Amino acid sequence: MTLKKKLIIIFAGLSLLSCENDGANSSPADEYLNDSEALKRGRLLFVGTCAGYCHKLTPERSDAPYLFDCQWLHGGSDEEIYTVVTGGVSGTRMIAFGENFPEGAKDLWKIIAFLKSNRSTCS
Amino acid sequence: MTDIRISSLIKNAAVILVSLGLVASCSPNETGIVEDQPPASNDFDGGETIEILTTHWINSRDIGQGKGPITSQMLVESQSNYSDSWIQYGGDYANHRHSPIKALSPDNVKDLEFAWSLPTGTQGQFAVSPIVYDGIMYVTSSFNRLFAVDAKTGELYWRYDHPLPQDLRLCCGPANRGASIHGDTILMATLDAKLLAFNRLTGEKLWESEIIEYYKGFSATSAPLVVKNLAVIGVGGGEFGIRGFFDAYDIETGARVWRHYTVPAEGEPGYESWSGNSFETGGAPAWTIGAYDSELDLLYWTTGNPSPDWNGDARLGDNLFSDSVLAIDPDSGERKWYYQFTPHDVWDYDGNTHLFQVDLNQGESVTKALVQANRNGFFYAINRENGEFIRATSYMEQLNWAESMEQNGRPVVNPEAMPSEEPTMRVCPGALGGMNGSVSGSVNTSLNLAFLPVIESCQLMQKGISMHVEGQLFMGGLPVSVDGVSDESGETPSYGHITAMNYQTGEVAWRHYDAEPMLAGTLSTEGGLVFSGSQTGHAFALNAETGEEVWRARLGGGIRSQPIAYEIDGESYVAIASGNFGGISAFSGADTSIIPEGGQLYVFKLSRE
Repeated sequence: MTLKKKLIIIFAGLSLLSCENDGANSSPADEYLNDSEALKRGRLLFVGTCAGYCHKLTPERSDAPYLFDCQWLHGGSDEEIYTVVTGGVSGTRMIAFGENFPEGAKDLWKIIAFLKSNRSTCS
Repeated sequence: MTDIRISSLIKNAAVILVSLGLVASCSPNETGIVEDQPPASNDFDGGETIEILTTHWINSRDIGQGKGPITSQMLVESQSNYSDSWIQYGGDYANHRHSPIKALSPDNVKDLEFAWSLPTGTQGQFAVSPIVYDGIMYVTSSFNRLFAVDAKTGELYWRYDHPLPQDLRLCCGPANRGASIHGDTILMATLDAKLLAFNRLTGEKLWESEIIEYYKGFSATSAPLVVKNLAVIGVGGGEFGIRGFFDAYDIETGARVWRHYTVPAEGEPGYESWSGNSFETGGAPAWTIGAYDSELDLLYWTTGNPSPDWNGDARLGDNLFSDSVLAIDPDSGERKWYYQFTPHDVWDYDGNTHLFQVDLNQGESVTKALVQANRNGFFYAINRENGEFIRATSYMEQLNWAESMEQNGRPVVNPEAMPSEEPTMRVCPGALGGMNGSVSGSVNTSLNLAFLPVIESCQLMQKGISMHVEGQLFMGGLPVSVDGVSDESGETPSYGHITAMNYQTGEVAWRHYDAEPMLAGTLSTEGGLVFSGSQTGHAFALNAETGEEVWRARLGGGIRSQPIAYEIDGESYVAIASGNFGGISAFSGADTSIIPEGGQLYVFKLSRE
């Protein structure tokens, strides 16, 4: 292998490592945390689709988990929430939504941003 | 399905032991859904091979009292002829849920004693109205288990556990409200939108018909209504943007005879009441049982909310035939007339509550009427020959979504009650209504009273963005249960009552209050009692004339069922199922956090002196 080829491989490896680090620290939802229009859309989508007879905006008694506290049944990271929404939870009323939102995955990340921006401070 | 055919007592005992072992190893998961198990072969006792499916135990013994099959004429005759039976969900086609038993009265109800009980092994609301015939009781539980038991002792004769998929489309819990009977056939509809038929004595499955693909947003929770040779069943799915319908199936073959869509297609009458293409996802489910007038030969069926529930912006118009009662030719499925209770509903005020057929005295004449405590808080009287509006009065203490009622029966909406993005008005009744379609009232014609389980719980109606994807929730908003939140004193504003409405006048005769909203049906008896139950797990009986409580028993689980009564060997029995679903309780504004889940049927007996 020539030196040139070795350098290309090293740079490519460093580049991938850099991407992985970025992914571990942020999610697409973070882009919307300071975007009031995006947060409003996330709230209205949550109200219109998730909250009806399921996840409530206030800690009411319900068989569906309250999503603004620090207790998560299937993980509370952005990616874990994304996975639960898209894949559903077998044996519960939580069916798989996929990315079937009006603006696709963007809308789901806006919902997650809305949840994140209204969540209790968790230690 | 596989028979268990063993003649000797020893063999039966062996089967029971083996079955117990299988059940223990096949207990439901936390949702109550039993995983589909492969058949197990067991070779024992002389080499006889028995193949057992854990979800279906069949009977080969000679059971019952030797009565023949149920005829259509028996279904037409009044419940008053059959104090030893309860052969329809509503007691009879008039849906009065009134037992002719006189022996049980306010004076001796204190002598009711425990007779037997039956566990279901499932969680979720135990909403059943059992049926009783030929000394056998047929009970359905949450998650579609079907039990046939000795109505006198509770001994199990046969049982079927319907295998269910994990991705059911349920808005409101895994309910089933009962089975139906005709000939020697027992019928049960399922959460995965199927209709099943069984032999009433052996439990063998006769046929299974898919109503529609459940994963498109459909379910079935009601007992079918038997009319002539047909089983009529409607679907749920008003929170999934379905196009609602109800079907009639030939009881002999399971073949569908007709389907009646509750939302018109393009070009059909009523289509103009939907803007754009909103009719395609218009909802109007038909999830509760109807009524039948054999003299007029008219079937009455009710419909639920238009979809999406709380955002009507994309479905401008009256949204026919949502929130309506439809009169149907039972032979053809054709509509004869309709009346819409809540045009352009944006509060989830399904029109699906229990219909009663009564005779209204109007001056010198008598009018054949339907009366109904609608989910929107009004107690309606409709001419059941032609659908003309007669009267509507509030049966609630709190009703503010409508300001008045026009002469033609169209409500005048309070504009402040419309859902908004930032709602501030407590809208009454809340989304579960003043009375919910999942429970049924009763009627005592001697007293001219209808006994109604009432929810007093108001909510903020919040509007959001609605999006429809087939098979997914399509609600467009939410009801915020402000009345279910405790105040500084620890009390919640929500409460309930059993209300006796004089259906001749539309006025309240009495109310019996409970700390929690009522979500159990009522039973009326000729002896002058009204039975029901509370969400905190108490069964009770009231004096039908006064509302005074005369009996109470703690059953352990919240009560969501429809009580019945019957007589065997001169002794009176009352059956009440106990078992709650916390989700719906919370939506009603109830605090039942300390009430355990789990279904258990209780039967009480008044012995002869």
